[in-house]
Amino acid sequence: MKLGRFEIGVDIGGTFTDIVCRERGGALHVLKVPTTRDDPSQAVIKSIAELAERWGVDADGIGRFAHGTTVATNAVLERKGARIGVLTTAGFRDVLEIGRQLRTDVYRVILDPQAPVFLAPRRYRREIPERLDASGTVLTALDEAAVVKAADELVQEGVEALAISFLFSFRNPVHERRAAELIRKRHPALALSLSHEVDPAFREYERTVITAFDAYLKPRVDTYLARLGKGLAKAGIDAPLQVMQSRGGLAIAEVARQRPVRLFLSGPAAGVIGGQIVGASAATDDLITIDVGGTSADIALISRRKPMLRSEGVIGGYAVRVAMVDVTTLGAGGGSIAHLDASGGLRVGPHSAGSEPGPACYGRGGENATVTDASVVLGYLDPDFFAGGRLRLEPAKATEAIDTKVAKQLNMTTAEAALGIHRVLNAQMAEGIRLVSVRQGIDPRTYALVPLGGAGGIHATALARELGIRRIIVPRLPGVLSAAGLLAAPIEHEITAEFATPIATFDLAALREKLGEIDRRAAALMAAEKADADKVTISYFADVCYIGQSYNLEIPLHPDDADPAGRLYRDFLEAHDRIYGHSVEIPAKIVGVRTVHRAGGSEILDEMRFAASGGPTEIGQRKIMVAGEPGFVSATVYDRNALPEGFSFAGPAIIQQSDTTTLVEPGWSCMVDGAGNLIVTRQEG
Amino acid sequence: MAETNGKGGLDPITVEVVRNKLEGIANEMQQTLLRSSFSPIVKEGLDASSSLFTIRGETLAQSIAIPIHLATLIPVVQKMLEVFPLTAMRPGDVYCMNDPYLGGTHLPDIALVQPIFFNDRPIAISATMTHHQDVGGMSPGSIPTRATEIFQEGLRLPPLKFRDAGQYNETLVAIIRQNVRIPDAVMGDLNAQLAACNVGARRIAALAADLGDNHALAIFDELLDRSEILTRTALKTIPAGTYRYVDHSDNDGIDLDKGIRIEVAVTVKDGTFHCDFTGSSPQVRGPFNCVPSGSLAAACYAVRAVTDPEIPTNAGCFRPITLELPKGSVVNPLEPAPVNSRTATIKRITGCILGALKEVLPERVPADSSGELVVLAFGGRHEGKPYVTGELIAGGSGAGPHSDGVDVIETDVTNCMNLPVEAMEMDVPIRVHRLALRQDSGGAGRHRGGLGVVKEYEILDGEVAFTYRGERHFYAPQGALGGGEGAKAHAVIHRADGREEVIPSKMMTTLVRGDRIVIETAGGGGNGVPATRDPAAVAIDIADGKVSTAEVHDKYARR
Repeated sequence: MKLGRFEIGVDIGGTFTDIVCRERGGALHVLKVPTTRDDPSQAVIKSIAELAERWGVDADGIGRFAHGTTVATNAVLERKGARIGVLTTAGFRDVLEIGRQLRTDVYRVILDPQAPVFLAPRRYRREIPERLDASGTVLTALDEAAVVKAADELVQEGVEALAISFLFSFRNPVHERRAAELIRKRHPALALSLSHEVDPAFREYERTVITAFDAYLKPRVDTYLARLGKGLAKAGIDAPLQVMQSRGGLAIAEVARQRPVRLFLSGPAAGVIGGQIVGASAATDDLITIDVGGTSADIALISRRKPMLRSEGVIGGYAVRVAMVDVTTLGAGGGSIAHLDASGGLRVGPHSAGSEPGPACYGRGGENATVTDASVVLGYLDPDFFAGGRLRLEPAKATEAIDTKVAKQLNMTTAEAALGIHRVLNAQMAEGIRLVSVRQGIDPRTYALVPLGGAGGIHATALARELGIRRIIVPRLPGVLSAAGLLAAPIEHEITAEFATPIATFDLAALREKLGEIDRRAAALMAAEKADADKVTISYFADVCYIGQSYNLEIPLHPDDADPAGRLYRDFLEAHDRIYGHSVEIPAKIVGVRTVHRAGGSEILDEMRFAASGGPTEIGQRKIMVAGEPGFVSATVYDRNALPEGFSFAGPAIIQQSDTTTLVEPGWSCMVDGAGNLIVTRQEG
Repeated sequence: MAETNGKGGLDPITVEVVRNKLEGIANEMQQTLLRSSFSPIVKEGLDASSSLFTIRGETLAQSIAIPIHLATLIPVVQKMLEVFPLTAMRPGDVYCMNDPYLGGTHLPDIALVQPIFFNDRPIAISATMTHHQDVGGMSPGSIPTRATEIFQEGLRLPPLKFRDAGQYNETLVAIIRQNVRIPDAVMGDLNAQLAACNVGARRIAALAADLGDNHALAIFDELLDRSEILTRTALKTIPAGTYRYVDHSDNDGIDLDKGIRIEVAVTVKDGTFHCDFTGSSPQVRGPFNCVPSGSLAAACYAVRAVTDPEIPTNAGCFRPITLELPKGSVVNPLEPAPVNSRTATIKRITGCILGALKEVLPERVPADSSGELVVLAFGGRHEGKPYVTGELIAGGSGAGPHSDGVDVIETDVTNCMNLPVEAMEMDVPIRVHRLALRQDSGGAGRHRGGLGVVKEYEILDGEVAFTYRGERHFYAPQGALGGGEGAKAHAVIHRADGREEVIPSKMMTTLVRGDRIVIETAGGGGNGVPATRDPAAVAIDIADGKVSTAEVHDKYARR
């Protein structure tokens, strides 16, 4: 890897593009610019110029460029992927459309398609005579002429990419490989996704869908990364362009573009890694992060310093079998609208005012009472210092909205109604966090809460109180934590292979051979990163389930242990007990194995430590209203930039900084730790 | 906090906070139940539910994955309170039952009911229901297609103490263990139910400690009243009147030439919803009878589906609903009629209630869906070991007023996954040759009904005991507003020796190596006059092969 003075992390979100630039031995430079929707690379290129101008970040000195992107997600949400064709085994072209015959909203009687048929309507799906049996033995040879004919026709019809998904290809890829070979010869520019490469595991619908998504994204992700690469080259930067993958590891663009389905949670994964470094900086292993934005709140768990992963995620409402950080989204945020139902009950959400027109206090024509309006009325937000003063809030409009939409009907004061809105939203978020925790088999009371996003800090003490959490860590830079996470993330390459065997009778030599094979493939990818081979750490995992069960758990595999099978089985029982609440000693089997190669990555970004500004720590007093206290109380307002290490105070208090506001309710104490975090703890008694 | 302003002397904010918590508690119970259960039927079929009740036996909150569980514990809890009055209950008591004729559903569904105490006073009830893998009876899995009386279906449990002040009722446990085929699994799942009930008890007690028990009880009542108001308000938007519908299930698996008539008159008036099933068939000999809890679930589902889905689910939503279930009919059978295959009947009942409303609520109710979930079971031996495998297959959904139906999709009160072809072939010696959309099966219409599926299997080894339980072989799903009917289901066995046997909706037979079965499920009904369908949509259907040119010529031509 090239050694440069500067490393750059760029996280492109829906509204803002965040840039964090780390200078070796120096400070961390932070920029926030509006996202350029039509071509997101424009905002990136522009901010490079700004970095140079403001901090002398010269193109030559940039050693790497790490990137979190929403390009894959947006292509799906906006249906802007490529036109693709799908080749299947004869008799099975409708697997993609039939799916698992499940519907997500059981109370709707007028239904929409529940499988992502838009990826390839029936006329773009072709059947190829060929068939393997369950052991991978060829029953019907591949009809090569049919492959050629189908590909030619589909190309004629304007298809830009092809997905090939044959039955049992994960057992024997011979037909998928041969079909690809034939097609590449005739149509070298056509993007191909082969199911045994994308997701070598049984269940034809799940494998076909993720392979089709891969083909659907390939041309778009390709264009995007190529354009960004060109832009960087034009700006004189020849550092590697690394892209964050959904599991929380980086890959060089040339590799990332080959498997675009791994980019669905690129941005949120960077945020989770950001949360992880915050925990590490505060010497805390177990965290719950909650990122409260305008329309939603994202919850993630970090356990024993590792982000929790899930082997199946959801994109645009469709279940997809690709590993990602386990982020759960609730439809609750600052823009959530409070309203009264026909029985006079106060409801908050699920509708949101979004950013346009946004909360009433934005003064952009919004008339609904939102959570942010309530925060203004309650005195939590400084109208003149919202988003660092970029947007002046109009308190009169917030008051009016809450009065007319909620307070009057309920016979309450504006402040009582506003507090009510907060209490209801907090109850919803707390139940959401509790459910995520129960699902992962953890007790939230033993975890620390890390509030993120513009609005996380306002709700933190209320949520912690509700959940019995005693410790809150408010990071120094919650607004650009995703971008910072990009700089801390390791390079990671993961290869999975089908390897089906009962644990009790598994053949260690065969296992070693299989691991060797996938290790070679992962090493080849790592080589493309120009990472030092001796700095690469390798870990193995097995997907394990009880025989007869169909849900797998990912269990670390130690092939060099004295008794790898015994250890794997014991670890499986322990994990099963944690996640499912019980385990019994009945036979279990391995379904697949995985190798994960990692290089680089740092647990702590020392540069996140900032010297205190030297200005006054206290910048005023404000009347605020909080749950459990009658009437308004006086809170001290602190300037986060001015708080030195070791500074401590007690609630009620408000801490302001340009990217977030933190509310410390009465009964909580606050201290600035050595890493610049605010540590908020519950007072005993 | 102000507790005296707002309606009913209660702080409306606290009421809403408590509502969110109750839903959260029910969800946490359900998560605990799913997490700690062992059986695949719970883990993957999600055939289990968790509820909180008031001490009067009214639902406070419920967490379910499939709507057939909606309201389903109400008759159970009512019966429990009748047999064991509150005054006799003690902390640590847990009650259980499964008898359909005392308020249950079918025997595999065992309910656990636990009173929740605060300061030695019962303040609420937590309850769970799980479909157990086996409860004894004449066939493994306890859903015998050939049952003609409930005694063949398994162990019947009247309301009994499962735990007495925290101690297991060892007599009962011994009886259960002795009467089921897989005692460890059944006890494991019962303990998962117990764990879920305990979560409810712990958190409700904490809530009462926060609020004070009287305050909590007042809020519970208020929440029920609110859902009642919301439901009545929504029902009032439906034009008053009596709406009738008749549909049929194919047969009861025993008298194969006799259809089962479901007739309903839905009267909507002044915010009430009354379903009168007079005119429905007398109870049948086979296990397709449906006890009242099933009809109640169907009616509650229909009301939810046509009102506002955001109304919090509790007993308030169910108060406006009344049922007239003629005694001795298929919707209210007399003991000892068998009931294990009630699901097919509940699906048809739900379809009928919705069907009755489709003309008066054309924007909210689609054409009839296939409303079938084919139950297949294969049992044989492979390499010396016995195997059993099965699957559940859906048909197409009815077209909406502005959209085509969905092809091959679960509808109404069930939501079950199909079995992947690769999963089946890896486990058992059966090969699947085809899994395809069934051309021309969707009802013609301005909006076309969803297509059914064609699935073809071949037996590769040995003798296989084969069970097929279908629907819609003899009665097609109807269209709406001039739309055509969906294609009927069809299934045939192509014997290895060249014979062909058409399956008359239900069948148990033996298959041998080389036999093939071809199953075609029904399509959904169409919506609107076919001749008015957008020609571009017709062209796409032809390009996609969902509709043949012959069908277009026959049904879509403008006249």
